[in-house]
Amino acid sequence: MSKKIKEHISKLLTQGRIKGFLGLKEENGNVMPHLFCDPKELNALSLGDWKKSGDTRYPLNQLMIRLTMEYPEETFAVLVRGCDERGVKELFKWKQLAEDKVVLIGIGCPDELAKACECEKPFPDSLIDGPQGTKAENEKVARVEAMDLNARLQYWKTEFDRCIKCFGCRNVCPMCFCNECSLEEDQLVGTGEVPPANPTFHLARAIHMVGRCIDCGLCEEACPADIPLRTLYKKVGEIISKEFGYKTGFSVDEKSPFHIIEVK
Amino acid sequence: MTFLKKLLEFSGIHPERVRTRWVSSAEAVEFVHEVSEFVEDIKKIGPNPLRMKAKEAA
Repeated sequence: MSKKIKEHISKLLTQGRIKGFLGLKEENGNVMPHLFCDPKELNALSLGDWKKSGDTRYPLNQLMIRLTMEYPEETFAVLVRGCDERGVKELFKWKQLAEDKVVLIGIGCPDELAKACECEKPFPDSLIDGPQGTKAENEKVARVEAMDLNARLQYWKTEFDRCIKCFGCRNVCPMCFCNECSLEEDQLVGTGEVPPANPTFHLARAIHMVGRCIDCGLCEEACPADIPLRTLYKKVGEIISKEFGYKTGFSVDEKSPFHIIEVK
Repeated sequence: MTFLKKLLEFSGIHPERVRTRWVSSAEAVEFVHEVSEFVEDIKKIGPNPLRMKAKEAA
């Protein structure tokens, strides 16, 4: 299945349309991010997790921001799934990536993966290869909503109490590009304690995910304490969608209702 | 506010524990009314479960 993608990238590279392609490479059985600048290298191209979500995913968008900062004049292509593409669209809006300097190489996720992720749109608009999967149902959020207030509080308290404050969720997040983070501000969220202020720490992060979280699930995969962060941020996305009619990452032109600062 | 209330509700905190009202500095009566009403409502909901847990632990 990656043959079509390889040919596509190889063409872009030879024609000089892109300087490099940011994707995943398999070497000695390990999958890692790699910038492919020569079509000959493409034999080692990997598409990472294919059947279910696991640990061979990387925040390529985050690397993309770093890359374009170093080489602002060059155009790069990046491997995107449905979620990654939503992220790229939001990053365009937040002026973290330039629309004319990014070429998207889209792959669709199989239903099995979409179901594991409970993904709303498991394929990108820039689909080059892979299935155009179906929307999966959001069961995890519904499970929490089935509890009464007190049970929900107990549930989240137990989950958040496992936090070792490693900042993994924030550091892996492709949408967390702020130079200064409220979570490190002692006056906003008390610092120097483990577990961090419960539930303030996690709710503060959840609020900051408004109009940003594109539900890629990297936070939950990165979390060493297995806190169901994705369920929390899924709810954030659901509120924004239901109450404000805004779907994060679905369109480049429409701005989030919380996107009040006009960046020129 | 809409967002915050929904998020608090999802995390098990009564959404009526937060409230915003816009009252001008010239409207003292209005201010007293709002605050008294809020205090009454909060009393009905009862003590904050988060706070109670902190006390138990101490």
